[in-house]
Amino acid sequence: MRQAGAYSGLLCGGVSGRTGPHSLPLARIKKIMKNSGEDVKMISGEAPIIFSKACELFIEELTRRSWIMAIQGKRRTLHKEDLASAVIATDIFDFLITLVSSSESHAVGGATNVMEVETIDCS
Amino acid sequence: MEDSIGGSSSNDNNIIKEQDRLLPIANVGRLMKQILPQNAKISKEAKETMQECVSEFISFVTSEASEKCRKERRKTVNGDDICWALATLGFDDYAEPMRRKSRTKIQEASTNQNDLC
Repeated sequence: MRQAGAYSGLLCGGVSGRTGPHSLPLARIKKIMKNSGEDVKMISGEAPIIFSKACELFIEELTRRSWIMAIQGKRRTLHKEDLASAVIATDIFDFLITLVSSSESHAVGGATNVMEVETIDCS
Repeated sequence: MEDSIGGSSSNDNNIIKEQDRLLPIANVGRLMKQILPQNAKISKEAKETMQECVSEFISFVTSEASEKCRKERRKTVNGDDICWALATLGFDDYAEPMRRKSRTKIQEASTNQNDLC
């Protein structure tokens, strides 16, 4: 298994370059941070900036691992079951197991992909 | 978008809060697309699941950083706390690029750095 970290350096300039300094809205990140707990009182200005980068790396790694699941299933469309499989297979994503399980409980039990018909977003 | 207080119906409030809970699906979808091969497609449900996962990631890391601040009796969660939390929770690969960024920022500000990142 290739390490995602080996690629993140190559991509980070490209992603940021294409979408401006921050590809994710800082105000929204800050709001999510505030909602994470009532003991989160004050957030410094650089924290959402760091998170915007960390989230890009997170999305990159989870997408990459999910794509491996899709390929193993001989598919070219990424489904949410692929994300669930990637979460289950990766230690550092174990905090997401409950979240992906609740939306697709049968994905936890087996590798069978029942949802053959998916609406494809071609935008 | 600002939260409206008292002036909207509960439905409007719920819609606003629901939107605020997640990062925009367009931004998330674009980032996913940039990582995959050209002929790959992404279902809408996969994008929605990724939105949820990213928000959970932010909350998870923020909670860890916030707990550290509480123990050290500080009120403000800063960039170093986020970097520390990322490394603590196993996202070392993410913390490293942040480390360089954080140090550059610190040098510009001419303040002391405790090498937390």
